[in-house]
Amino acid sequence: MMGYYIFTYLCLAVFAASVLWRIYRQLTLPVHVRWEIYPVQHEPAAKAAYGGSYMEGLNWWKEKRRRSTVNEILYMAPEIGLMRGLWKENRNLWLFSFPFHLGLYLMLVVFALLLLSAVLLLLGLAEDGAVLSIIKGFTIAAGWIGVIAGAAGSLGMLYRRLADRDLRAYATAADYFNLVFLLLFFVCALLTALAADPFFVAARLYILGLLTAGAATPAYAPGQSVPGALTIVLGSLVAAYIPLTHMSHMFMKFFLYHKVKWDDSPLTPGSPLESAVKQNLQYRPTWTAAHIEADGKKTWQDIASSVPKEMK
Amino acid sequence: MKDLIKPADISKPSAGLCRIEPGDLATLPPPYEDFNATVLKPLPADKVKALETSLDDTLAIGIPKPATPEEEEELVRRFLSGLTKLFEKKNNWTFLQPLLLSMEHCARCQTCSEACPVFEMSGRKEIYRPIFRSEVLRRIYKKYLTPGGKMTAKWTGDIDLNWTAIARLAELAYRCSLCRRCASVCPIGVDNGLITHELRKLFSQEMGIAPKELHEKGTVLHLRAGSSTGMNPLAAKDSVEFIQEEMEEITGYKVDIPWDVEGADILLIHNAGEMLAWPENVGAFAILFQAAGLSWTLSSETTGYDAVNYGLWYDDVQLARVALRHADIARRLKVKKIVIGECGHAHKALIETSDRLLTGDLNIPRESALVTLEAIVRSGKLKFDPQKNDFPVTLHDPCNYVRLMGIVEPQRRILRQIAPGFREMTPHGVDNYCCGGGSGFAIMSGYNFTDWRNLVSSRKKFLQILQAFESEPPQTPKYVCAPCSNCKGAIRDILGYYDAEKRSRLYYGGLVELLVNALDGMKKPIILFGDEPSWK
Ligand code: SF4
Ligand code: SF4
Repeated sequence: MMGYYIFTYLCLAVFAASVLWRIYRQLTLPVHVRWEIYPVQHEPAAKAAYGGSYMEGLNWWKEKRRRSTVNEILYMAPEIGLMRGLWKENRNLWLFSFPFHLGLYLMLVVFALLLLSAVLLLLGLAEDGAVLSIIKGFTIAAGWIGVIAGAAGSLGMLYRRLADRDLRAYATAADYFNLVFLLLFFVCALLTALAADPFFVAARLYILGLLTAGAATPAYAPGQSVPGALTIVLGSLVAAYIPLTHMSHMFMKFFLYHKVKWDDSPLTPGSPLESAVKQNLQYRPTWTAAHIEADGKKTWQDIASSVPKEMK
Repeated sequence: MKDLIKPADISKPSAGLCRIEPGDLATLPPPYEDFNATVLKPLPADKVKALETSLDDTLAIGIPKPATPEEEEELVRRFLSGLTKLFEKKNNWTFLQPLLLSMEHCARCQTCSEACPVFEMSGRKEIYRPIFRSEVLRRIYKKYLTPGGKMTAKWTGDIDLNWTAIARLAELAYRCSLCRRCASVCPIGVDNGLITHELRKLFSQEMGIAPKELHEKGTVLHLRAGSSTGMNPLAAKDSVEFIQEEMEEITGYKVDIPWDVEGADILLIHNAGEMLAWPENVGAFAILFQAAGLSWTLSSETTGYDAVNYGLWYDDVQLARVALRHADIARRLKVKKIVIGECGHAHKALIETSDRLLTGDLNIPRESALVTLEAIVRSGKLKFDPQKNDFPVTLHDPCNYVRLMGIVEPQRRILRQIAPGFREMTPHGVDNYCCGGGSGFAIMSGYNFTDWRNLVSSRKKFLQILQAFESEPPQTPKYVCAPCSNCKGAIRDILGYYDAEKRSRLYYGGLVELLVNALDGMKKPIILFGDEPSWK
């Protein structure tokens, strides 16, 4: 019994470590030069609507910059939740990709709800009280929709990748594995829900067990059904695996949008951004093309302010 | 159905990965059907023998075939060393974060393919698909530069690295105009244009490989002689003197173009190509600035009278060198701001991308001329008669300052005021299509590359222009307003290539010309349709 718990702990540790590592790496990368694409959604609504920027203003550097986080959120919510971009640009794929992603999102929601109810149980809330009943209701709804959408979506995505020659030409063995792996997880979860745990009670007990290293009462022995055991194993592996692959785009999209696509901050004198750039200009490049004239000692600053031989 | 070319095919020797056959390209409507079977002129046999031409029957760089296996190995080694440097902070702090994010998160969903004009217009030739080159680079990177990569290559997508692959990749980096339309539709935010840009940098910064128009005749000439046109300061002054005379002759308005005025409010920097190819653009700016009573100047210092910065397209070091020169000239002239004339990439290079290269007193405020022009129009100091521009006008959106800088409306607000026949292209604004001349294509003319541009990369723009004017009779003169020197170059070439002046009476020019054309007090129009004045 402890084996399952230990396995899940390990997988969650891999998950946490890889997510943290990815985020840490992004945070420690040097500030890059600007490379935004419009519309930039934190512009005021009137500008964001057509893709305008603060650079449309006369003497824009004298004006106070108006940034709207609300606009960003209003844009990002349907983008993440409903995959609006894909709906707009590639509807055929959206038909499969949306349920697939919805399944994954809802699994996260289910996990969070199970965790919450387990914590509340441990804190002594009544099992049949209003709060836990509401959470249970949401868990059941999210769980069923999630496993059905996820199973259908991953099957659809697998079908598309095999049937569409444009997608097939670029698919790698890992791409097929990822889809089969997720399909297996969703199918096992669906079978478990159908055959053994329609109200996600055992699932909650498993989380309770995870929180207490198996010491919680009532005791729950994981893996009472084969699909249940497989769901635990595959679910844990999915959690560990996603951040190790390109599927980490689910959360790394934050950096792709906020740190590149919408990173329009101008450099102002004396700002932390200016200090960061000054620091970058002290890097010593080693590019070997003759016109660069890098020797590993000269800094970017030296090189950029010099005129090399062939240009004199 | 023929098998699709796959990323791994790039390293498999063959006569060519892509051939455009008659009828492959997107169909042109009447009266241009006779071009539908037109294909690239074949490369001369001696070039095919000496240069690596096995990508797609055209050449942007023209890399000589290596003479010995040792030479081949050396090139592979240098490629890998450059690729390693792209992922190092000290070598590529400028783009490391965007590059890593784009390299690691593509889901291969192909949403971007439909957005790419080159891919679409080529008849969906696989090698022009936005993720084709990215996927090649991604696989090489994973296999050769990540720990255990060779063992996991079969799993993550195998590819062999050899001279053929590298030479084709170098050419392929110059079949994408860096318009970044693909990036704007990617649901994840992956930027295939950026990956192309980084690939170009690897070749230039590590291997010294770049199209000569961008490097030797581009940034090198710019920094050495003063302008990528080859004009030295004296020649630039001569041209401007000639422009002053021309302007007086054409419009009856006497302009005095100021040089090197210390303490002026504005340092105006044009793409120097305007002085030679479209002198009326430089003249029109002068008329407007003078009439509006602005305090402004041009600089006659080497590099200071040419706003271009080809480094933006292929080499960060060259980008930085030119940007620093521009800023330093402005600093020493003690101007309040730099205004960039009608040149898209110069906007992006100096106002946006180099923003994080110019620190301390080099951080001189920089503004788009479109914004300055709009302020002149709004000020009400000048009177315009829109009836003088009473002909069909459409607007081309240069990618560099529209999608990539968000300068979308000033030019439209001007047009709505002074051009009653203004209509939009479809799509437009930040969804625009590239003119096909982006990222250096407009000035690259070696071998048969101009043909490729006119047939493939500019084709979408040509279709858009035709569509914008489809309700107009063929005999009515029409004006494509393209406020960007490179876009104008590309549009001039497509109109010429397809004989569109004769067949559809299509003409092109900038925005300032329309303004001056409608300006009160001009004796004659500045815009001519062939020999015909646009107003009498
Ligand atoms: S770049 Fe974006 S749109 Fe293109 S295949 Fe990759 S994830 Fe899809
Ligand atoms: S940047 Fe433009 S030309 Fe290049 S691949 Fe993307 S859409 Fe195509």
